[in-house]
Amino acid sequence: MIDFVQNCFDGVMLGSSYALLAIGFTLIFGVMRRLNLSYGPSIMLGAFVGTLVFLEFRAGGLAVAAATVVGAVLVGIYVERLCFWAIRQGAAVASMVSSFAIWMQLEEVVTIAFPDRTYPFPPLTRTEPMDFGPFFFKVENLIMFACAVALTLGLHLLLYRTRFGLRIRAVAENPDAARYMGINIAAVTFLAFACASAIGGIAGYLIVAQDGQITPLFGLWATFKGLIAMMLGGMGSIPGAILGGLLLGVVEAQNIWYLGTEYRDLCAYALLFVFLVFRPGGMFGHTLAERERLALRRV
Amino acid sequence: MDDHLVGVLSNIGMISFIALSAYLLLIVGEISFGQQAFFAISAYASGIATAMWGWDFWPGLAWGAAVAAAAAVLVGIPTLRIRGLYFSIATLAFAEMVRLVFEVFKYQVEIDGEMVGPDGSDGFRDIRYIFENDITAVEYMLMIYGLLAAVLCAFFLLERSRLGSIFRMIGQDPVLAQMQGIDVTAYKILALGMAGLVAGIGGGLYAHLTTFVEPKIFNVMLGVHSLAYGLIGGLGTAFGPLIGVAIDIGFLESIRAISGYRMIAFGGLVAVLLIFRPRGLLDEAAVNWIRLRLRRRHA
Amino acid sequence: MLEVRGIVTSYGKIEALRGVDLSVEEGRITCLLGPNGAGKTTLMMTIAGILNPSRGSIGFDGVELVGLTPSRVVRQGIALVPENRLVFPDMNVRENLLAGAFLRLAGERAEVDRDLDRMFDRFPRLRERAEQNAGTLSGGEQQMLAVARALMARPRLLLMDEPSLGLAPLMVEEIFRIIRDLHRDGTSIFLVEQNAHMALQVAHRFFLLEQGRVTFDGTPGELAEDEVIQRAYLGSRANG
Repeated sequence: MIDFVQNCFDGVMLGSSYALLAIGFTLIFGVMRRLNLSYGPSIMLGAFVGTLVFLEFRAGGLAVAAATVVGAVLVGIYVERLCFWAIRQGAAVASMVSSFAIWMQLEEVVTIAFPDRTYPFPPLTRTEPMDFGPFFFKVENLIMFACAVALTLGLHLLLYRTRFGLRIRAVAENPDAARYMGINIAAVTFLAFACASAIGGIAGYLIVAQDGQITPLFGLWATFKGLIAMMLGGMGSIPGAILGGLLLGVVEAQNIWYLGTEYRDLCAYALLFVFLVFRPGGMFGHTLAERERLALRRV
Repeated sequence: MDDHLVGVLSNIGMISFIALSAYLLLIVGEISFGQQAFFAISAYASGIATAMWGWDFWPGLAWGAAVAAAAAVLVGIPTLRIRGLYFSIATLAFAEMVRLVFEVFKYQVEIDGEMVGPDGSDGFRDIRYIFENDITAVEYMLMIYGLLAAVLCAFFLLERSRLGSIFRMIGQDPVLAQMQGIDVTAYKILALGMAGLVAGIGGGLYAHLTTFVEPKIFNVMLGVHSLAYGLIGGLGTAFGPLIGVAIDIGFLESIRAISGYRMIAFGGLVAVLLIFRPRGLLDEAAVNWIRLRLRRRHA
Repeated sequence: MLEVRGIVTSYGKIEALRGVDLSVEEGRITCLLGPNGAGKTTLMMTIAGILNPSRGSIGFDGVELVGLTPSRVVRQGIALVPENRLVFPDMNVRENLLAGAFLRLAGERAEVDRDLDRMFDRFPRLRERAEQNAGTLSGGEQQMLAVARALMARPRLLLMDEPSLGLAPLMVEEIFRIIRDLHRDGTSIFLVEQNAHMALQVAHRFFLLEQGRVTFDGTPGELAEDEVIQRAYLGSRANG
């Protein structure tokens, strides 16, 4: 029982990194109804910019974090222009495929610029795990969890308390109506995309700093974990992203403990597959019937 | 012929099968990131048949392709209810599940004092039928191209047939196709089964050429490549995906000056084409134009 | 010929049709009028089997259509010319026409070819563009193609959803001329139309659909006399 509870705690901690990734992912999907598969690789590229700053200038944590975020945003802008802005409206699938193609590009850019497989990254903290009775926690995980909560709150305030947020929501709800109201859709989606990339950059910094190292494989990892977490919660839903991330974390943690690490990813994908087939809207998104209704509305 | 050239040509031939498989689904309007799963299933199944059960090559290949087709139909029944992005992600999840299952799949028997068979993440070694039966690299290449020619002929017949027009109708507008009296779901499952079969032929050929298969080869990048071939070459004719393969493997990978930057060029090419020619170089309009030209010259 | 009784069709929790009753007589042109969002397209889709009603029945010459798949409905002899999504854009005009005869292609190929010729005679403009991709046609030509494609199925009842939508006035005239011709040749037509002036000239019977219910049912004469309808659908010109 203590194992199970400890696994749940571990899962929540692990899941907060997935949740962080899923927030940015879901923001892009919510606004554009498109999927950016290059999301993970852009964060990975940002993290390599952070590594570069760290190695070249022996920079401290804050500068590395800033470099990571700036890098992720710049790459995000490149992806947005090429895969989303330039592709005509309605071609959501084309955007998805295009973002996958750009993923290959980004990965190769990194492997050429950084020929060693693994590079060091400044760790977040160097403190020992803390004990609470029979349970223990890592400090980095607690920081990550706190950041996930803070980012969600910040994003919520941005969306519901600012004019920019109002515009984002208008575009997300009904782009045509938003256009008639004089909202510049391209500008709003661009800024929302940049925001999501910045969130991704923060998430990437925290996760990579916790690992203390970065490899080009991080892009794949980040896209899939973020994607699964987002899908479980329901695409486009921010509370869904958090809960989806935590659910994925808990399932994985239990899995690792009871079945072993080989089955960790297998179970994650199986969970995704089952959700897609039986509840494609996730826990908080539209149910299948509702989506059919939306689809037929456009008939 | 020198070995390098034979190797490149054999590769082009094998990858063409998986490209044609993804192309067939593009024709019915579905984007699959997961055709590599059927390639993998057949690679294992046919390898098991020849190396462990002592079957001949052709029955082994047919068995592998049939298993792949059956798997495709089984996976199609639940997933084809969901559409667009969701279907694509479901195929991705399925393919990764297949890969991860092969990572833990162990099934070995002792043959002549040696253990033969799939050994988890170490892969499946010693699929030695080609060597044991003294088939040369050139002969095997000719076998690949013979099969490819047969499959291409089948595709051309298909495109001139009633079934081919039904597939195209479904791909362009499933609701309108329904209004013409077509049972869209049944035909989509049929298309998925056929695509599984074609990918399966490629997988069986691949396993016997390389003599060993590793699960990690069948990752998403293989799936995305095979999808991209059709999108580059064009969706107007079955030559489209072959042109895509030839551009990628024949040109980008084989020319040394470019090969280091292959992914950058390839990813960029896909992204740019999706903007300017969303249905590829040889799209329906281009094919129609060429056909008219040819007809006029003959007339 | 077509008897719609108490049809209720919902999108999720919203009822788009809330108990629709109407009938279409053989050999007549029946017209369904109504404002945007009244449920006209929903009704067409329901008859064609693409949407499933939660209640009610649709009888077609004694056969119950509710519960049939769209392909079964087509087999009964009903063809729909849908609104907006008219053609298969990346297939040429000839292929689009053959698509309409899809169910007959296996057995009666020769007859289908004769029908194809007949369609080209009826719509010479389509013959000129036979090898052209349908997506490159103008709006009016696409509408013609959609009608011709529906006729290729040799329907006994033709459903047309707003055939004049978005067309230039000359093209609208042309479409209505075609509707009259089809009627003369013996096809029964059930037409959704916003253009009440044009519809008045061709239709024999009118239904008005408002907020998911039929609120008026009558002949052209009765329609022209109804003051509310006059104001809403015919405007001042009908008074003159």
